[in-house]
Amino acid sequence: MRIHLAILRSAAWLVPGEQRAEWLAEWSAELWYVRQRGERQTAGFCLGSFRDAFWLRRNSPPDARPRLRFESPARCLGFLGLAVAACVLFALRFHSPDLCYHSPGLPLPPIWLALLVMLSQAVSGLPALVATTSLRLGEYPANRCGWRWVFFACKIALLLPLVFFGALDLWPIAGPPLRGTCMMVGYVIAFRWALIDQRRRCPECLRLLAHPARIGRITETFLQWYGTELACPKGHGLLHVQETPAISLPTQRWVHLDRSWSGLFL
Amino acid sequence: MAPEPKLSHTAAMILQAIHMGDGYGFSVMEMTGLPSGTVYPAMRRLERDGLIRSQWERQSIADAGQRPPRKYYKLTRPGQATLEVSERRYPLLAKLARVEVEQS
Repeated sequence: MRIHLAILRSAAWLVPGEQRAEWLAEWSAELWYVRQRGERQTAGFCLGSFRDAFWLRRNSPPDARPRLRFESPARCLGFLGLAVAACVLFALRFHSPDLCYHSPGLPLPPIWLALLVMLSQAVSGLPALVATTSLRLGEYPANRCGWRWVFFACKIALLLPLVFFGALDLWPIAGPPLRGTCMMVGYVIAFRWALIDQRRRCPECLRLLAHPARIGRITETFLQWYGTELACPKGHGLLHVQETPAISLPTQRWVHLDRSWSGLFL
Repeated sequence: MAPEPKLSHTAAMILQAIHMGDGYGFSVMEMTGLPSGTVYPAMRRLERDGLIRSQWERQSIADAGQRPPRKYYKLTRPGQATLEVSERRYPLLAKLARVEVEQS
């Protein structure tokens, strides 16, 4: 019984906080009845709770999910900057890079050697990045996307040292054979997040888009697209994200709204 | 005229099992033979779409039976209409009901 309850409690961590107690109560009660019928199917029953918990996690309203508030670009960059500072201080205090990267064979100062390792690990993660997410950022009007690229470059510039020093902090745990792998995986995850975050921002104010709404039907793709429409909280426009690429909408598309729409976004 | 709601065969089976059975998750599993990882998410989806509603059993009733209280599911009015549409679409659903009657 204890192991079965432990499985349910583990799955409960996936359930959004405000639904967790009721979810666990329902599954625990059902477990009691399943056990009355015999032990054979109990483990299989409990393992099914993970799928239910995943479903609730995926389908809970966005506000119910605990997440960091990165809506504004300044807050996003500020958080990344603080994280970099913390990682650098921790790394310099406990694992000085010149000790970790002391290489007598190469006539380079430690800082340049660290930079070289940083860039080489980031580049070596690119094939895995391409395999896990699209590199396309969508169709945007050319005259409205200047700051997007500056913001994207800032994010990448902060993620490079963040992953490098973060991995450096974890090295005593990971051990020497896994050092390179940890850093490469870190870069793949970080760049993937940067791309996904970039695709979900308004190209004009760079705030995260909100109010997702389903559009169209999967069975009616001939004349219209189907997917998700997101809106800029400040009313700058709408982003159409298709579920599967179509001829009419091969990639996500930004629809600019002029000032006549501003009354809808107070 | 409003379009008729369409359910997958699995969702229709679960709706039928809730209608015919005792209305809790494990009874749906027993009636349909589906695993818990399929039944519970499907019931959440049906509840989200307003086809079923859930209600906890009163604590006093559960205490009298010396067992934990259960969460029961019932069909709503739109759920009953959807089930009728599904029965026309999936004639084998009626077989599920017959098997249950024979077993009881």
